[in-house]
Amino acid sequence: MALISSLLALRRDARILKIPPYLSALCIVIGIAWLLVLPLNDYSRNTYVSENALLPGQVHTYFAGSEHNVFRAYRHEVWGLNEKPVAERSQRLADMFRSNNLKVATQKYSYHVSNRTIANENVYAILQGPRADATEAIVLIGAWKNMQDEANTSGVALVLTLARYFKRWSLWSKDIIFLVSGDSTTGPQAWVDAYHDGHDERHVERLKIKSGALQAAVAVDYPAGPWGHRYDKLHVLYDGVNGQLPNLDLFNTAVQIASSQMGIGCAIQRMFDHRDSYKERLHTMLRGMVSQGLGHATGPHSSFIPYHVDAITLSTVGDGWHDEMSLGKTIESLFRSLNNLLEHLHQSFFFYLLIQANRFISIGTYLPSAMLIAVNFSITSIALWVASGRSTEPIPNPAATAPLEDEPVKEKTAEKSATVTPPTSSEKPDMELVEQNGAKALVPAASTTITERHLLFPLLSVLTMHFLGLLPLYLFNTWSSDTLPALYLTMANATTLFPLLVAWFFAELRPLSHQENTLIQCFSLLLLGMILAALATLNFSQSFLIGVLAAPLSFVRKTNKTWLTVLQLILLALINPVMVAQWSAKLLGADLNHVLVLAAQGWAVWGLWTQVTVWLVWFPAWVCATVVVAGGAVEGGIL
Amino acid sequence: MLSSRLLLLLNAFIAFAFAGSDYHEQLLLRPLPQDTLLASFNFRSNESQASFEQQNFRYVPRSLGQILQHAHTQELHLRFSVGRWDAENWGQRPHQGSREGGTGVELWAWIEAETEEQASARWLTLTNALSGLFCASLNFIDATKTIRPVMAFSPEGDHRNAPNLHLLHGTLPHEVVCTENLTPFLKLLPCKGKAGISSLLDGHKLFDASFQTMAIDVRPVCGLESGKCSLEMEQSVDMVLDIARSKRPKDNPIPRPLPIDQIECDTSKGFNAQDTCFPLNKGTEPGWTLEEVFGKPLRGSCPLVEDGEDSNSVCINTPPERTIEVRSNGDFSESRLASDTLRCYKLPVGADFDLVLPEQKMTTGLVRSDPALFAARSINGHGQERGSTQAIIRNPSTSEAVEFVYLESLPWFMKPYLHTLRATVDTSSESPIKETYYKPALDRQRGTHLELRMVIPPSSTLTLTYEFEKAILRYTEYPPDANRGFDVAPAVLRVLTPQAADKKGIYIRTTSLLLPLPTPDFSMPYNVIILTSTVMALGFGNIFNLLVRRFVGADEVPAAAGGLKGVLQAKIAGIKAKLGRA
Repeated sequence: MALISSLLALRRDARILKIPPYLSALCIVIGIAWLLVLPLNDYSRNTYVSENALLPGQVHTYFAGSEHNVFRAYRHEVWGLNEKPVAERSQRLADMFRSNNLKVATQKYSYHVSNRTIANENVYAILQGPRADATEAIVLIGAWKNMQDEANTSGVALVLTLARYFKRWSLWSKDIIFLVSGDSTTGPQAWVDAYHDGHDERHVERLKIKSGALQAAVAVDYPAGPWGHRYDKLHVLYDGVNGQLPNLDLFNTAVQIASSQMGIGCAIQRMFDHRDSYKERLHTMLRGMVSQGLGHATGPHSSFIPYHVDAITLSTVGDGWHDEMSLGKTIESLFRSLNNLLEHLHQSFFFYLLIQANRFISIGTYLPSAMLIAVNFSITSIALWVASGRSTEPIPNPAATAPLEDEPVKEKTAEKSATVTPPTSSEKPDMELVEQNGAKALVPAASTTITERHLLFPLLSVLTMHFLGLLPLYLFNTWSSDTLPALYLTMANATTLFPLLVAWFFAELRPLSHQENTLIQCFSLLLLGMILAALATLNFSQSFLIGVLAAPLSFVRKTNKTWLTVLQLILLALINPVMVAQWSAKLLGADLNHVLVLAAQGWAVWGLWTQVTVWLVWFPAWVCATVVVAGGAVEGGIL
Repeated sequence: MLSSRLLLLLNAFIAFAFAGSDYHEQLLLRPLPQDTLLASFNFRSNESQASFEQQNFRYVPRSLGQILQHAHTQELHLRFSVGRWDAENWGQRPHQGSREGGTGVELWAWIEAETEEQASARWLTLTNALSGLFCASLNFIDATKTIRPVMAFSPEGDHRNAPNLHLLHGTLPHEVVCTENLTPFLKLLPCKGKAGISSLLDGHKLFDASFQTMAIDVRPVCGLESGKCSLEMEQSVDMVLDIARSKRPKDNPIPRPLPIDQIECDTSKGFNAQDTCFPLNKGTEPGWTLEEVFGKPLRGSCPLVEDGEDSNSVCINTPPERTIEVRSNGDFSESRLASDTLRCYKLPVGADFDLVLPEQKMTTGLVRSDPALFAARSINGHGQERGSTQAIIRNPSTSEAVEFVYLESLPWFMKPYLHTLRATVDTSSESPIKETYYKPALDRQRGTHLELRMVIPPSSTLTLTYEFEKAILRYTEYPPDANRGFDVAPAVLRVLTPQAADKKGIYIRTTSLLLPLPTPDFSMPYNVIILTSTVMALGFGNIFNLLVRRFVGADEVPAAAGGLKGVLQAKIAGIKAKLGRA
């Protein structure tokens, strides 16, 4: 009991109230430091294949000999189709599949995104497993154009050759679908949407033939022309839309087959020269996190992952001595492994960070870092809630600590009245006699008066800010692509000035009390903390990145000091989500206009959620904090 | 048109064939497009009703006959199937689908019983007995997998005691059919795979086929005039062999890439070169022999086949220009039927027989007839909670509307919402559904049974969709491969009009479906069990120790003297204590 009562007494201690900002800062520091130690050997593990059925690299591969001659011919044929119109190209591809006794169908799609049309045609063929019962299927994808918009000539030719080669085997337990998509992101999305009947009939054609439940998908990206190109390494792409990842077993199988069975090195996240140092591991991890955090499609495989179809893209990079046949053998071996699967891939990890092709960090190890960042907002929010319930007058320390002055306070106010004593001097606080169970104590009046919180106005303001985010969300996703740069510029200026304007309005029309300012910040941080914590379990990287970029929001306050207000406003202007897009694009070497167009396409085609988190979670939190800080500027007469 | 005429002829031929004899067998070969070969084996035996009742078995096997008698089964249909019939390329199904089953095992029977309960009990007896006989998991056809179809099936036999007959139907879509099912199947034959056409049936080739179905049909047949009844048992095997795959030698079954000089290249291509070859289809019918594609020689005729005009055992349906050589040391005879498109051979006794078809460039072909309907069914949607099923049924005929019954037997954990059932025809706005029979599922007791009578106008496509909810199973109800998903039995379509020529009917089956259900992470319960057990063990160990051990101070322990003396003293003390106690 004694312990509890002393703890309760501590609750009133002014020193306790000083702790939260430090605690928040500590959470952020630990959160970031946590991430930095992850690449160390003690916190990461070597990858391993969990699913026993896969048996990677345990089969002989026979894709060689005359298949090479056929491949060269197909490569010439595909190269010749590059200049042809889409309809003729599809017709010819369909004929080539059909000559190998496969069932062929085509699918047209045409999306209208930011006033431009993305239209093309998918061609796909189904190899019916001789002993399969049409319940399961695996997909081999060769996009006509790869992510860099180069013609994927050798990739498509390899798909055609493998289709011819696979047809002769009788061991397939699943159907194999060969998909030549019109492009690398929209085509596969249209196809996989239609496969699960989740498509919009206005843009995407229905699939004429289907097979069973998709188990896995592998895409090939090999943009070598008719005379071939010997590559150095395989770049394995695994990020799905919205930061979802394929089962680690699929990735491991591909890496193990390529590196152990075929002797082809594997790279991830464009780290082509990885020497396994701490710096490079960290670099790989951060690149992976940025890619995951942005949630965009990174290859033809990305669209499959939201449908719980594990998928990867194998892309050839560099100049080396590996040829198309070794890539073909890798795919053959990979398909033989997938063919062994008795169940849907479920054994291994779905949440991981890769720091190298054969080292990963599991969710249990990395999750606390994003959670700590999210918790910092909640701590500040709770602290602000407590602060909002206290009177603005300073409360002297209770009797447990040293009195303010040397003279004994007790004697001076030892009257038997329970009413507030009249102030004796300006330094001395109001005192009050409290009686409980016959024991009497004299406490400062401020600590017993109840401050009522006026919730309606702050709550309404925070909600309004959140709904205001819908406006840019709508504009950025619907305006035509030519006007997007102009819209961006306008938005950058508008969002920077908007909080100052709001603060000025408040100052003119209805000045905000100290309590209201505190509560606005409290609610906004509470929402931010909660949403980021939930997001961390879905898209760790996005939650972490937004959390770090929004971290100053926990510490900015309305203040009367002019220099501090100006400093805070400059900092806030830098971490404005719109400005962050600008400087991070510059930092990462991306073209901002292209990013905007891709984002709109992602919203319309891929079902990207990143804009929602930016405009409806991050942006409103930023606006709330800036409005509060700008209030100080308005009152201080800066504006 | 040649082929459809031919089909009719064939049916008549077969119908005529069995009437006279007690045992009859026939193999019909028909090359199909894409270098495939359809082989239909048919074995038919008769037993008079009187001798059957007296358990005097001749051609109908005793093992099966006694099971039928014990389970009071009047008519039985059992199917084992693997693979898919590719109707787009291969056309109409053999026997118009009436001797075919859905993927896995399908069983339906007319059982004589006073009440429904009695029928169910006898059905249980029948499935368990057949399970043992055919080495299949037929005993897993329990109440949840059994339905009583109303419109989709009608008896093939002539039944006297019709009101007491109960039709029960069960399927096992996940059952993998393999050699262990073929062996008992062959054992039921009088020649047991040693002679006659059954000597061609080899597990390796049969189960490497692109499509194969084994059927057993038992039905009572009564003569119209004589009134004499007999029990007819028909066993049939239909298989579609990929000729190239079947011809691969046993010792080298790996399809290695062919040497480049064996591939025909398209020399008209500009890029054609020594190392660049655009493969060209030869456009010839592949050459094959019976022994090559079946992996075994045909060991003459089964001596039990009675001699007569209709004892032609092997027939092959090809255009007249196709060269066919016969290789045999014994006496055989050839007869040509149906304007030479059907060549039939009477097999020699005791000597091998082989047909040799060389590779040949063909100028004419047989017209293949379209099936009455094309049907495909798939699961749409994704996620763990809901989904929808879509069946697309197409009527290829340009003149005739097709009326059919659509039978769906769903497991109880797939719960369809009947209000979402939509059937639309692309050429008319009228609802194609004429009649609905629906029996909803009861959790863990019975599955959903849905029968729809529908009509498709000529050259139209019917789309049938309904949504369903996925139930969450109990932890122990999941099979070992829970993450694979659950198989949903194929839908059965029975064509009512145009009417079938005989009582067998026209059937089409869709493929089975794989239904992914929400699956727990099974390592979790094990972790809990392991953790709990550890805590229990620790707690139990400590308490047990406290209860049974006596704790004494170190100085209270009697000091034992060391060495031999001490040991002896201890022994003596022990013996003394024992004696004293006694």
